[in-house]
Amino acid sequence: MLAKRIVACLDISNGRVVKGLRFENLRDMGDPVERARRYCEEGIDELVMLDVSATLQGRIASLETVYRISRNIDVPLIVGGGVRDEADVLRLLDAGADKVAVNTTAVNDPLCLQRLYERYGSQCIVLSVDAREVEGQYELATHSATVRVGRNALDWAREAQDLGAGEVLLTSIERDGTQAGYDLKLISDFSRALTIPVVASGGAVDADSFAKALIAGADGALGASVFHNGALTIPAVKRHCKQRGLEIRPC
Amino acid sequence: MLSLGATNSASIVQAIRRAGGDSYLIERSQQLTDVESLVIPGVANVRFLLSALDERSLRIPILRVIDGGIPVLGICAGFQALFHRSDEAPLVKGLGVFDGVVIQLRGPKSPHTGWNWVESVCSSIECGWAYFAHSFAPPAQSPQTIATTEHGVLFTSIARRGNVLGVQFHPERSGRYGAQFLENFIAMCTG
Repeated sequence: MLAKRIVACLDISNGRVVKGLRFENLRDMGDPVERARRYCEEGIDELVMLDVSATLQGRIASLETVYRISRNIDVPLIVGGGVRDEADVLRLLDAGADKVAVNTTAVNDPLCLQRLYERYGSQCIVLSVDAREVEGQYELATHSATVRVGRNALDWAREAQDLGAGEVLLTSIERDGTQAGYDLKLISDFSRALTIPVVASGGAVDADSFAKALIAGADGALGASVFHNGALTIPAVKRHCKQRGLEIRPC
Repeated sequence: MLSLGATNSASIVQAIRRAGGDSYLIERSQQLTDVESLVIPGVANVRFLLSALDERSLRIPILRVIDGGIPVLGICAGFQALFHRSDEAPLVKGLGVFDGVVIQLRGPKSPHTGWNWVESVCSSIECGWAYFAHSFAPPAQSPQTIATTEHGVLFTSIARRGNVLGVQFHPERSGRYGAQFLENFIAMCTG
């Protein structure tokens, strides 16, 4: 049976791992290669590298950082940040990415998802959705959550799925970096509405928060701060999720 | 390793190096005349892959490599291309090394993305956890099946016919299990 995934996220700025609170006040969290290697050795199922300053600076994610991380790991690497077109996806794949996450570009030009799907297949295309609940609706944001799009995020994810996206990386803007627990209603609503897998992000705090997100319907649960600051180890999270009856790949 | 663009060949090159082997990318049929082994990586889908082979007149040279007894490894869509046909591209003929028709998965979630169990059905291959990312898969009943995996239905995750191996998962991203698989393939190439 397909295992639920425990995912670690490396937010990158200027070649360093950083982490902020609700997308702001970024703090240095170390060297990306060191972190990637350690998480890999501990038994992480997948790594995400998001270049958080790429879109804001009008450039693609750092290819050098992708290369340095990729050659040191033996689990899949999703890379996101500033992807503008098909050529950018190829640049990231050639640097060592296995899947590419798109956000702002896809929102501005939804048909780009179809072009990416035709060329790379949906298994390669991850739609990154940054959502915030406003009056019972999920509002979509882009540009590292700095721009409000004025669209329903769930409708957008459905449309993106039909256009060829193969997975959704779903971030709760309100929970990002807070360690207040995942937004379980958000996860459950998206997982039920979509047939493609959902990786939940934003709010990881303890081992049980991961289990709750996965039980709520997420196919993967992503942590950043909790792993970076040493509050949690990957084997501890996996052990707990297994005890809660979830299918988990042993470390 | 065939380089048809649009794939994670960089990841595979690095994994082969970690497993103690060496690889280089080839694009033209002339380059296939003196290879010691061949990897056909997964690209977008079988239709894209097979039409890329036809556009570059690679189909016959690849069959010649296979018939010459040279070790060949197909990964993901590169594996599916080795079957007779795929429901993903019903009008395009596959390479026909493995028997059967590649079918669409109808699992609870699609694409089948993540780590799943590989169950060996022959003594020459180990069981283990491997990383998958695909929507189509070879049927479980192929005579060349040596391991199976379940996602909604049972499908073939590893097949072998003589010098030709195929895997539906991604050995380059399957931790220790994938590394061991690549080491075994390299041993098959050098021994």
